[in-house]
Amino acid sequence: MPGVSIRGLHKRYGDVAAVDGLDLDVKPGELVALLGPSGCGKTTTLRVVAGFLSPDSGEVWVGDRCLSSPATVIPPERRRMGMIFQSYALWPHMTVAQNVGYGLRFSKDGRRGVPRTERDGKVTEMLRVVQLAGYEQRYPGELSGGQQQRVAVARALVVEPEILLLDEPLSNLDASLREEMRFEIRRLHETFGITTLYVTHDQSEAMVISDRVAVLDQGRVAQIGTAEELFERPRTRFVAEFIGKTNLIEGTAERSDTFVRGALRLRVFDANLTPGPVVLSIRPHQIALGPASLAPPTSGGENVLRATVLRASYLGDAVDYQVQLDGGDLVLRVAGPVTRRFRPGDAVALTVLQCSAVRL
Amino acid sequence: MARELTVTVRPRPSRLEGLDRSAPVWIIAAAALLLLMLLPLGWLGYLSVSGEGGLTLAHYARVFTDARLQNALWNTVVLAFWSALLSLAIGAPMAWLTARTDLPGKRVIRGLVMASFVTPPFLGAFAWVMLAGPNAGYLNKLYRGLTGAETPLLNIFTMPGLIFVVALYTFPYAYIMIVNTLELIASDLEEAASILGASRLWVAVTITLPMVLPAILSGFILSVLQALALFGSPAILALPAGFHTITTQIWALFQYPPKVEMAAAFSVPLLLATALLLFLQKKLLGRRGYAAVGGKGGQRRQIALGPWRQPALLACLAVMACAIFLPYGILAKAAFSRAWAQPLTWDNVTLGNWSFTFLSISTQTAIVNTLELGVLTACVGAGLATLLAYITNRRLIVGHQLLAFLALAPVVIPGVVLAVGLFIAYTRPPFLLYGTLWILFLAYLTKEMPVGYSQSDATFRGIHPELEEAGRILGAGRLRVLGEITAPLARSGIIATWCFIFIGVIRELSASILLFTPNTKVMSVVIFDLKEEGQFGAIAVLGLFMLAVTFLAVVLMQTLLGRDVLGARPSGGSG
Amino acid sequence: MRKLLVLSVLAAFFGAAPACAQDARVEAAKKEGKVVWYTSLALTSSEKVAKLFETAYPGIKVEVQRTGSQRILQRVMQELQANIKNVDVIHTSDAGHYVLLKEKKLLMKHTPAGVDRFPPSFKDKDGYHYGLRATVNVIAYNTKAVSPAEAPRTWKDLLDPKWKGKLVTAHPGYSGVIATHVLALVHLHGWDYFKQLAQSKPMLVQSAVDPSGVVASGERPVAVNGGDYTFYQIKKKGNPVEIVFPKEGVPLVISPTAIAAFAPHPNAAKLFTDFIFSREVQQVLADTEGLYTGHPEVKYPADRPKLSELKLLLVDPEELEKRNEEIKTRFVEFFGA
Repeated sequence: MPGVSIRGLHKRYGDVAAVDGLDLDVKPGELVALLGPSGCGKTTTLRVVAGFLSPDSGEVWVGDRCLSSPATVIPPERRRMGMIFQSYALWPHMTVAQNVGYGLRFSKDGRRGVPRTERDGKVTEMLRVVQLAGYEQRYPGELSGGQQQRVAVARALVVEPEILLLDEPLSNLDASLREEMRFEIRRLHETFGITTLYVTHDQSEAMVISDRVAVLDQGRVAQIGTAEELFERPRTRFVAEFIGKTNLIEGTAERSDTFVRGALRLRVFDANLTPGPVVLSIRPHQIALGPASLAPPTSGGENVLRATVLRASYLGDAVDYQVQLDGGDLVLRVAGPVTRRFRPGDAVALTVLQCSAVRL
Repeated sequence: MARELTVTVRPRPSRLEGLDRSAPVWIIAAAALLLLMLLPLGWLGYLSVSGEGGLTLAHYARVFTDARLQNALWNTVVLAFWSALLSLAIGAPMAWLTARTDLPGKRVIRGLVMASFVTPPFLGAFAWVMLAGPNAGYLNKLYRGLTGAETPLLNIFTMPGLIFVVALYTFPYAYIMIVNTLELIASDLEEAASILGASRLWVAVTITLPMVLPAILSGFILSVLQALALFGSPAILALPAGFHTITTQIWALFQYPPKVEMAAAFSVPLLLATALLLFLQKKLLGRRGYAAVGGKGGQRRQIALGPWRQPALLACLAVMACAIFLPYGILAKAAFSRAWAQPLTWDNVTLGNWSFTFLSISTQTAIVNTLELGVLTACVGAGLATLLAYITNRRLIVGHQLLAFLALAPVVIPGVVLAVGLFIAYTRPPFLLYGTLWILFLAYLTKEMPVGYSQSDATFRGIHPELEEAGRILGAGRLRVLGEITAPLARSGIIATWCFIFIGVIRELSASILLFTPNTKVMSVVIFDLKEEGQFGAIAVLGLFMLAVTFLAVVLMQTLLGRDVLGARPSGGSG
Repeated sequence: MRKLLVLSVLAAFFGAAPACAQDARVEAAKKEGKVVWYTSLALTSSEKVAKLFETAYPGIKVEVQRTGSQRILQRVMQELQANIKNVDVIHTSDAGHYVLLKEKKLLMKHTPAGVDRFPPSFKDKDGYHYGLRATVNVIAYNTKAVSPAEAPRTWKDLLDPKWKGKLVTAHPGYSGVIATHVLALVHLHGWDYFKQLAQSKPMLVQSAVDPSGVVASGERPVAVNGGDYTFYQIKKKGNPVEIVFPKEGVPLVISPTAIAAFAPHPNAAKLFTDFIFSREVQQVLADTEGLYTGHPEVKYPADRPKLSELKLLLVDPEELEKRNEEIKTRFVEFFGA
């Protein structure tokens, strides 16, 4: 099982650089999600890997084969990859069995097509795996969205690809089905262990499905890591902002663990700041909210701040507060429990449980 | 995993390995198109400036000083302008009535507009000779019989008569442009104005009209282009009245001894004029992002005509009577009459026209030639157009934009001009095709390429590229994907393209008239020849036969497309 | 093959050939299978002649290509330029064409059997072309629209302003019959005649056949020219048409036929040419088509004037050839198209 290695990839459309110096290594058997807002270059990257686009510069390697370079692009049909498309791309004029069995006929470099006699068995088996046994003779038009999705998955997996590519495969499904399919795709990945690139703009989807997430910004990888790493220790302002809600405060690092902004002083846990301007990221749920009486009257203890509630929105499982820090114009978002509620105008004490800082 | 080990270590693929094996197919298709367009036009341009002693502008000087040629030029301008204006006057209200109001029988009206769209204009002109010839014309006789008047009601052999007949078969172009735009404008846009207090008329003037204006102007330009390129109608109506248009004049320059250089020099201004007009039309449509008027979500509510419903319907039917009922009726009468101008009494009824037409060897040959050419051109044309549209849609080769331009370019080439170019190009080495069906085939292929291309283009736009990519990634090469996935999906679109081209070919006159030889006559040319001999009955029979074949193709196409011909983009096919 | 050729030459030489030689000629023609005939004879008439030939010689097809005389010349020339050898027998109504074709060495010498007894005006002195048929240009009118009393009697009568918008003329740029007619009347009355005629805005049609149809339908009540046979035919079909032979004389148009020097089916061409000059075919032309011919034994219908009773206006083919361009140009100048 080979991994994928993308080195210094550049791809321009006219004046716009869609991919601008992207490096990425996917380990054998790993599932990496490419996450980013629209226009960040994630789909372009995937299509270069698939061989539908040729790079302006940079290379794509799979194991020890260089598949794409500006000079030569191995056509998609000889890449031994599987792909699941946003639109599923099921052929409406073929039955489910014909769709799934299509790729079995071809020999790809170093690999024979599956003999006719074995094809049916493979198709049936794969349909069973995706829980569509008995649907062989249906046409795609006769299936529900979720079933079509499963056919697309079966079609990509049955050829036993070395690399699996998924291009926003769940974006056409409704919310509940999407949830279900996330786990389904994860289950299949654990079953087959195929090296996988997964493009999505939905961060929770990326976090559920992937081993690692690569956050793309303006054609580059801004940060790659596990969901936890990205969430807890974003390395750029963009990543901090893009992954989950957060409060960003610009200020200065005074020491390796102390953040200062005017009268505000905060201790940053397990950080190793170099003195200079930084951006501090505090997630709303990393702030504990208590009555003002709990706070020391003046400057208070470590990371405890006094504030006034501006607005409180009841969300069912939490309350979303906007609070203004006393003695300043800073407004923070805080997630509080529904059990202890505050009203606008209430004086409160904030305890910053954890925060991270990114150098500007 | 074991398989992995058998793969030899190849750090970088060779150039050959990366090469798309389908590339030659695209390149050949592109080269074919290039040759098809550039050879005749190149020769046309060259011959128009070549004299015995090298390059000369003498031919152009003569074109612009010869009073006869200037007259032809002026007549053409008058004809094109007024017939386009009349087309608009007919097409625009009818488009509004059928798109936005509760006019009864809208489907029927639309169907009749379509019938007028596919009727060969020269057949219409010919029928109108029988209807409105000043003395023998059926309508004039009726008028004189009713009123006792001496003078005819209508004289079709005049410039206004010609304008009238041309407009009858050109107005569908204006109609299509406008109706398709009106159907895009959501009622919300108008209602938004109403809610702000605008009256109905004010809404029409300030909201609807500006949004339709580009379509109206572009419908006007399309109609002008049609009228400029027509050969049959002026030949039938203008020549007996003693005046020429550019197309008939070019044709006359081809009579013995042929003045090909003059014809070429006369063709070039016509070509430039049509190119300029088309450019203008594109500009108009491109501005203000008007194509996005409505979006798909908007609803269109019908405007109640109230007491005007019946009069509006009558007006539409009156137009259709002129374009369809009366001409088809008189053709049917002539087909079964010994003498078309006499009443259809038992003495006058005959099947002789039918037996004469279908037993005559020259007509038989022409029918066979026409159908052969129709099928051949439609097959090759649909194939080539499909490939070209595929190349440009999937951006397969460098310069695909140029290909799209070239495929659409013949819209600006009037049939007569194209024929002059082809005549020059293929009567000399290296391609000696004159006298064979191949030169006609090339003419039709070139002429029908824009229709075929835009039709195929629409087809491919409807096929999601991911359907093909899914096949590629599973291991199928591009050509295999084209054959096994794209082609089956595009099938009904391709067959519709086929029908479009077929219809265009079997009615083609303006290029054929310069390119036929006695062995390679086609139906339209035979009709024209019979006209010169005054064989009205035989013309009527052949004309009805041609219409029957046309409508057969139309029905086939509609069944396949699930919509009528008018929904499609109009293009420059004409007789 | 060579033997056949010799035989056929012999057969031609001896005129009334012995039966076996005749058979050999037919065999040679049959091998060629068809004969291509470019003809200006009206389509119905020429197809009738073709059918007669095909019945007489089964196995040899006649490919009739009927169009106007000028178009025929144009086609022949264009085809030659493109190196297409298609036509076997060329038949137009413009005697000038044969002067030109002979000059360019495009005709094959062939004397059809039995033409030696034709009048001299039907024969080329060098033996390249012979008059297949003749017609005279006449005036015709629709009897429902015009009474015999007010009908024109002479060519000059047509200049009367009362005919404005009522006339129809065929075109010398299309029809050889009309080109001959125009030249004859130019000799008689000068170009001024046509200039004045154009004042009446006659309807322009192409073929010399067409005026008969226009007059019969009543679209224009008076034809200022046209082959008398076309009017005769349409009158016989029961149309209200009357023919006038103007007193100043009627232009005689003799329509020659010849075999192309490059004929792809020379034997069939000769057989066909001999056939159309036979008494039977010439009689058919006279009977059903109302044409005049050079054959001395042909009997004409009783309702037709004899050629000898008419005052004929003759035109010199050489002059017709020389002035061809002038005729067309001036006609267009006066009549507009």
